[in-house]
Amino acid sequence: MIKVLLLALSVSLFMGCSLVKEVKPWEKETLAKPIMQFGGLHPEVTKFESHVYFSKEASRGGSGVAGGGCGCN
Amino acid sequence: MQLKKSYINISKVTALAIIASNSLYAENYVSVEFLQYNENDNRVAVSAPSFSTSYDIGTDYNIKADFVHDAVSGATPSWQPDSNSGASSRDNSGDYQYKNQEFTEARNAGSVMLTTRFENRDELYTGFDYSRESDFDSKAISAEYMHYTDKSHNQSVNIGVSYSFNELLAYQYDSGSGASQKEESNSLNIQAGISQVLNDHSALKVEGFTIIDDGYLTNPHANVVRNNNTNNQKLVTENRPDKRTAYGVNLKYITLLNDDMSYKVNYRFYADDWDINSHTIDNDIYYKMNKQLTFGVGLRYYIQSEANFYNENKDFFTNEEYASSDERLSDFDALTYKTSIDFKQNDKISYNLGGEFYSQSTGLDASMVTLGLKYKF
Repeated sequence: MIKVLLLALSVSLFMGCSLVKEVKPWEKETLAKPIMQFGGLHPEVTKFESHVYFSKEASRGGSGVAGGGCGCN
Repeated sequence: MQLKKSYINISKVTALAIIASNSLYAENYVSVEFLQYNENDNRVAVSAPSFSTSYDIGTDYNIKADFVHDAVSGATPSWQPDSNSGASSRDNSGDYQYKNQEFTEARNAGSVMLTTRFENRDELYTGFDYSRESDFDSKAISAEYMHYTDKSHNQSVNIGVSYSFNELLAYQYDSGSGASQKEESNSLNIQAGISQVLNDHSALKVEGFTIIDDGYLTNPHANVVRNNNTNNQKLVTENRPDKRTAYGVNLKYITLLNDDMSYKVNYRFYADDWDINSHTIDNDIYYKMNKQLTFGVGLRYYIQSEANFYNENKDFFTNEEYASSDERLSDFDALTYKTSIDFKQNDKISYNLGGEFYSQSTGLDASMVTLGLKYKF
């Protein structure tokens, strides 16, 4: 666990040191495009997908804290 | 003119908020989606209509609600008496087969989430989820706070927690009476992360999470064979530990490849104290073909190790405390092939059609088709 967190922290710091460029509000038109959303074009479909994986695989998590249990697993 | 410029800036700050936090996309809409899910070998089939709506209340609040009804039918594999060998149900003699066990089920689930935006545009999400089946009830509450760490809103941190309360009717296969008893479990989920805009066309999000499940975690519909080929052989309900602690990390990266094409990749590492480790890598490409059509393709790869109390062999288990033959706890990998197309009729109405094919190394194959309509107002 500690190794994984250190790796994630290192990646974050590396990004912070070398790859991050300050973006002004008026430069964010691209980032606002619907195809640029982390949740995909249709969060409802993503929710369906997550539920299928939850019912067919033994691991879960990492996609937000919201959501309840299900008798399917 | 000044007014127009201010408006543009506010819009872009909102856009930044969406990117930096992966928060709720602030807009008013209602949408309906229909999912049809089918597994091979006449296993599970699910028809699931759903309804979702999002509504901004002024500039500081948004409320989102959704509801889904799952109509489930088919069969799921488990150890059963082999009818050809002369064994009868709950018999301690004869042979056993790992075969499909038929069932039908209906599930209703819904959620409500309130987003509160503060003066500095930090956001608080509070939610309630419920899920109800004939033998399973779940209620969950959640809260998550997102804080911008810089004036340009290029970086945000978030921390969230949820707690779910589950009640189920557990059927003990070996009881002989078919009686059930009420059992409980609960789950605590804590997640924290950081989002960073890298440049004007890419962003990154890193999150760590831990999940603690406590209570009755056994699958009451899954059986194991104990002491096979002895005088004490029996078919009984599986038994899992009553606690499970998991942790993991999730990395998301999205970038624009050219003016009309984006690429999104998500990697997740997961581990728990049942000795299950998994790696998931999920890739999606969206291509905006013109003002109306957007095409998407995706590929997801998943691999997991098996639980330390899993075995598929009916000759394996004797008197171990924990035992399961549920193949979802086995070591396997899976691929998902995804495709979708979105048609934007006008600024208010859009349609989406998606198809996915899921294939596990256990032999399970499944198809998923989604069809949806969204109306913005």
